[in-house]
Amino acid sequence: MIAADLPAPGQPPWLTGHRAAGMARFAALGYPTRKMEAWRFTDLRPLTASIFPPAPADPVAVTAATLAPHRLAGPAHRVVLVNGRFAPALSDIGALPSGVWLGAATDALRTRPDMMASAFMADEAALASLNTALFADGFVLALEPGVILETPVEVIHHADMGVPAAAHLRNCLIIGAGARATVVEMSTGVGASWLNTVTAIAVAAGGALRHVQIQRDADEAIHTAVIRATVARDGRYDGFSLMAGGRLSRRDIHVTLAEAGAGVALHGAYLLRDGQEATLAPVVVHAAPGCRTDEVVKGVMRDRAHGVFLGTIQVRPGADGTDARQLNRNLLLSPTAWVDTKPELEILADDVKCSHGATVGSLDEAALFYLQARGIDPATARLMLVEAFAADVIDGAGLDGPIRDHVHGHLRAWLDGMGGEI
Amino acid sequence: MSKLLEIRDLRARIVGGRDILKGIDLDVAPGEVHAIMGPNGAGKSTLSSVLAGKPGYEVTGGSVLYQGRDLLALPADERAREGIFLAFQYPVEIPGVNNMYFLRAALNAGRRQRGAPELDASQFLKAVRDKLKLLDIGDDLLRRAVNVGFSGGEKKRNEIFQMAMLEPRLAILDETDSGLDIDALRVVSDGVNRLRDANRAIILITHYQRLLDYIVPDHVHVLSEGRIVASGDKTFATELERTGYAHLGTAA
Repeated sequence: MIAADLPAPGQPPWLTGHRAAGMARFAALGYPTRKMEAWRFTDLRPLTASIFPPAPADPVAVTAATLAPHRLAGPAHRVVLVNGRFAPALSDIGALPSGVWLGAATDALRTRPDMMASAFMADEAALASLNTALFADGFVLALEPGVILETPVEVIHHADMGVPAAAHLRNCLIIGAGARATVVEMSTGVGASWLNTVTAIAVAAGGALRHVQIQRDADEAIHTAVIRATVARDGRYDGFSLMAGGRLSRRDIHVTLAEAGAGVALHGAYLLRDGQEATLAPVVVHAAPGCRTDEVVKGVMRDRAHGVFLGTIQVRPGADGTDARQLNRNLLLSPTAWVDTKPELEILADDVKCSHGATVGSLDEAALFYLQARGIDPATARLMLVEAFAADVIDGAGLDGPIRDHVHGHLRAWLDGMGGEI
Repeated sequence: MSKLLEIRDLRARIVGGRDILKGIDLDVAPGEVHAIMGPNGAGKSTLSSVLAGKPGYEVTGGSVLYQGRDLLALPADERAREGIFLAFQYPVEIPGVNNMYFLRAALNAGRRQRGAPELDASQFLKAVRDKLKLLDIGDDLLRRAVNVGFSGGEKKRNEIFQMAMLEPRLAILDETDSGLDIDALRVVSDGVNRLRDANRAIILITHYQRLLDYIVPDHVHVLSEGRIVASGDKTFATELERTGYAHLGTAA
């Protein structure tokens, strides 16, 4: 159930229309159900069985010390959003090179609404429509053509709502022709909450965006995210997702390789324990010739956790010279853990090189014995093998040293959270 | 000298199968090198697996004392930390686990067991360099994942390097010569010979007499149909080469 009071002040007139249309569309569509093919493996009950009114705008007592453990080592342009709203006191955007705009979506809508105009679509899915209707804030990064932003942008989302409530965020990443940036997002928090984000990404010709998203939400949290990227001629979008938190999480990543020579890499891992439920659903559309997709996703499930991988690569007619590979590998650590994996290729062009595959397995008994035969105790041996399984996808993602270390740190923290037994 | 290993009437099988070991008796003292030879199916690999504690085997009778303790009561990792080393016939590839990281974890696990301080990264690196020098092998394998993409010879060389690092009291080399060309066999044998020590015992399990030209044992035993049917000194191997196993039959 959704409260009907729409955020209004400071928004451009065109947005009012989008918001009304978004609410009408959500009212018509309702929450996704398992009768829909794209949702049939995802158990949405934790979301649909509760009421998540929009989180109040009241400031929350979050200190820099709370966020310190989540921060990137080294310099960063830091944006902090608490309960879905820009928190200036916790943020440290610092000096930006000319041609770079970075800040809150509310500021963007007030001062540079043109930047966000293309971030809305009429035919959004249900949760994105609801987001259009209700989003209170978000972050925007825009690079003018040719601008190289060397220092990474770090975005920390912190949820601490006191009572179950929802934060809807609309984010926008605009990379001009030949421009280049790295964005590292992290979500964390305490208690029950629902984070519902839509991120619109446009990479212009020859531009490149590296986008790392680390999800370490509280055990009770729900996190749904839509990432929608369009990549122009010879541009690149390199996405990495680490899903290791929250009660229910789902990431729908939709990338359109719109012009010749565009490339996308989508790497990532879901690490799930207890009764966690996570879905990673990347869809890549090859709409032009000579584009490339490189997708490797790994999953580790223990206890009663449930992972879902729904990977689709569509090669449109005329997208000759497509080079696409997609791989999903899963490790089940308990007899009650479960995964559904559905890698799909839809190829409507002739001259393509495509591969896909999925595996589901348990730890290699021969490797476990080998480690034990060298004196390593069984619990440590299991941890080593699980870490190696997941670390492989981090190392293969081409991340820069400090960011790679940061992601490894989160993997290690997740493993440490198992108390030495996995 | 007291015995390091005392095997008495050991009987064992693969879980659910028939006995493969049908009463093994063997004493090994510190400093000794024993060769256990025999045809395929005699139980050689079962013996090494049971001594190392590999899952999937069950002991149906007899006893094994190691340094006076009941070895069979210990899990595999504890046996290793107590100084038993099995050089695998088929070393296992472990993608994603760096060879050096793995070896340091193994070495420090053993040191913790003995109450010795753990080696830090630089102390460990020095130990690695010393052993590489001792064995006269390059460091090309160290940066790679454990056994991944190694040739057969590289895998065996890696086993011997691990043995040098872990400094076991009892090393069991299971068909270490299998699949090696003559150059690789020489490298591996030289390594083993350099690790011979008055405090260390070695059990060589092999199908071929060839290995014993390079590593000269103190004692040679013939294993046949789950029993040791003949034993002798190092000259016995040469005799076996001439006469074969057949005449030894299924004695006792």
